[in-house]
Amino acid sequence: MKTVLKYIGAVIALIVALAPIYWLVTISLKREIDQFAFPPRWIAFTPVLTHYREAFSSGSFSVYFTNSVILATVSTFAALTLGVPAAYALSRFTWPGDAREEIAYWILSTRLLPPIVTIVPLFLMLREAHLLNSLAGLALVYTAFNLPFVVWMMRGFFDEVPKEIEEAAMLDGESRGGALLRVVLPLVKPGLAATAVFCLIVAWNEFLFALILTQTEAAMTLPVGIASRVTQYEIKWGAMSAAGVVAMLPVLIFASAAQKYLVRGLSLGAVKG
Amino acid sequence: MALDLKNIVKEFGARTVVREVSLSANEGEFVVLLGPSGCGKTTLLRIVAGLESPDEGSVVLCGRDVTRLDPRDRDIAMVFQSYALYPHMPVEQNIAYPLKIRKRPAEEISRETRSVASRLGLAQLLDHYPRQLSGGERQRVALARAIIRRPKAFLMDEPLSNLDARLRVEMRAELKRLQHELGIVTLYVTHDQAEAMTLAHRIAVMRDGVLQQFATPAEVYHRPANTFVATFVGSPSMNLLKPPFGTRFGKADATLGIRPEDVELSLEEKRDWIAALVWVTEEMGNETLVVIKAGEEHITVRAPSATRLDFETPVWFRPRPEKVHWFDQAGKRMP
Repeated sequence: MKTVLKYIGAVIALIVALAPIYWLVTISLKREIDQFAFPPRWIAFTPVLTHYREAFSSGSFSVYFTNSVILATVSTFAALTLGVPAAYALSRFTWPGDAREEIAYWILSTRLLPPIVTIVPLFLMLREAHLLNSLAGLALVYTAFNLPFVVWMMRGFFDEVPKEIEEAAMLDGESRGGALLRVVLPLVKPGLAATAVFCLIVAWNEFLFALILTQTEAAMTLPVGIASRVTQYEIKWGAMSAAGVVAMLPVLIFASAAQKYLVRGLSLGAVKG
Repeated sequence: MALDLKNIVKEFGARTVVREVSLSANEGEFVVLLGPSGCGKTTLLRIVAGLESPDEGSVVLCGRDVTRLDPRDRDIAMVFQSYALYPHMPVEQNIAYPLKIRKRPAEEISRETRSVASRLGLAQLLDHYPRQLSGGERQRVALARAIIRRPKAFLMDEPLSNLDARLRVEMRAELKRLQHELGIVTLYVTHDQAEAMTLAHRIAVMRDGVLQQFATPAEVYHRPANTFVATFVGSPSMNLLKPPFGTRFGKADATLGIRPEDVELSLEEKRDWIAALVWVTEEMGNETLVVIKAGEEHITVRAPSATRLDFETPVWFRPRPEKVHWFDQAGKRMP
């Protein structure tokens, strides 16, 4: 009886989570007449691919897509490159004045502001630096946005690795850097993967900064590009949905590829023998 | 001197954990650092390893001052209490790691690994991961990883304390044999006085960061430098009888120390023996420990295993005069 209830609960949760995605996918395949039919046509409709053709024929979609891929990859890579050593240092070294916790919370505090509050100063700063309407500017912002997250998450994973293991490596002949690279990092690989996936998803889905900081077609990302299908005269539901489905795919593929690590990374204790 | 520690001082914030410790070990010597937890023995070991740097003093290894060197440049191997095996590598790679870092030829690495592994009974386990091993097996892997590159010195931080009692005694003997065969100077940290007594050529007893005594096990046992060493080494520990108990043995204001095996016990009254009552008896199988009460003092006596004494049985005892230790009011041994 208990298991039955558990399964019913799981099915309900699944339906709630997947319903919008189902709706998105079906809208992208429906003729306009079916999109607005009432009562809604859940299953029985004539699938067409015209919206996909429409979404991709304009050419700008591939620009958005490329932009988003570049942005997500570059900003994730940059956030990890800067954040992982910082997290390691916060986990391992003693700090002047015992300021380890203070520094850690100061880093975290940069995430306490609602993003909308930072948008005006960011806009002005990027304008001064001539980085408005550029992928470089946006990559900078995303990196800064993801950095505290990387530091905090990776610090937790480094804390999990017993200090003796890298001390053993150092006595065996490694430098500290060598021990980090060849012993500690392999042990926190699940954590690294989980952190990377989160950064990617945040950068891939980000809308607000991209909307305000880029206004030219050439620097637009997918979320902004898709939203721009809401025009003054009509809302192209079909084309928007088709673009949305395609926009979902890369993150979906990446996350399922990293799933093995995600589960281990999120449940910690991955390195305990 | 193979290993020479000179006036080592280490402070953590306002706390001094090692106070001017000097000791030196000879070629091939097995030195045990013995003391209760928090006495600074592990810190001292980590200073020798290079994992901590001393605030004062120097570490000299085979004539070379290594005080400021990185751990990897010291040519020292260490076995950790938690073994600290590399969880992501199978046993073979764990053992071979020190040679791999040194970029020895693959053929040599493989040969050495196999030889060390079979020496420690690990030949069948080379492709296992640490998490698949028992505590004793992990311990052997940690040892194998330490000995494979024949370092100038071994450091061991309570390597047996995570094993169960039987295995610990077994490994203790094995460790002693291994160290003898390799002939490499070894610094071994423990809080277990039995381990110290059985393994060491010389024992360095520490308390609150201060070296109390540095001598052979026999000397530490038979001529303890102070009351701390006297009670810390030996089980059950030495009886300390405070003044004025010693008056009748000739020293009024000194503490009399006597080991449980050096107390004579009698069921009949004898001239100059002291009257007492049996407080409790503990049968150990091979012997019986009798705790007697004389005035306010409790005295432990080691008696033959056949001894059967009821609570409150009147008895008479005396310390064997030639086995009596005297300590002054500061606890220091008197000549």
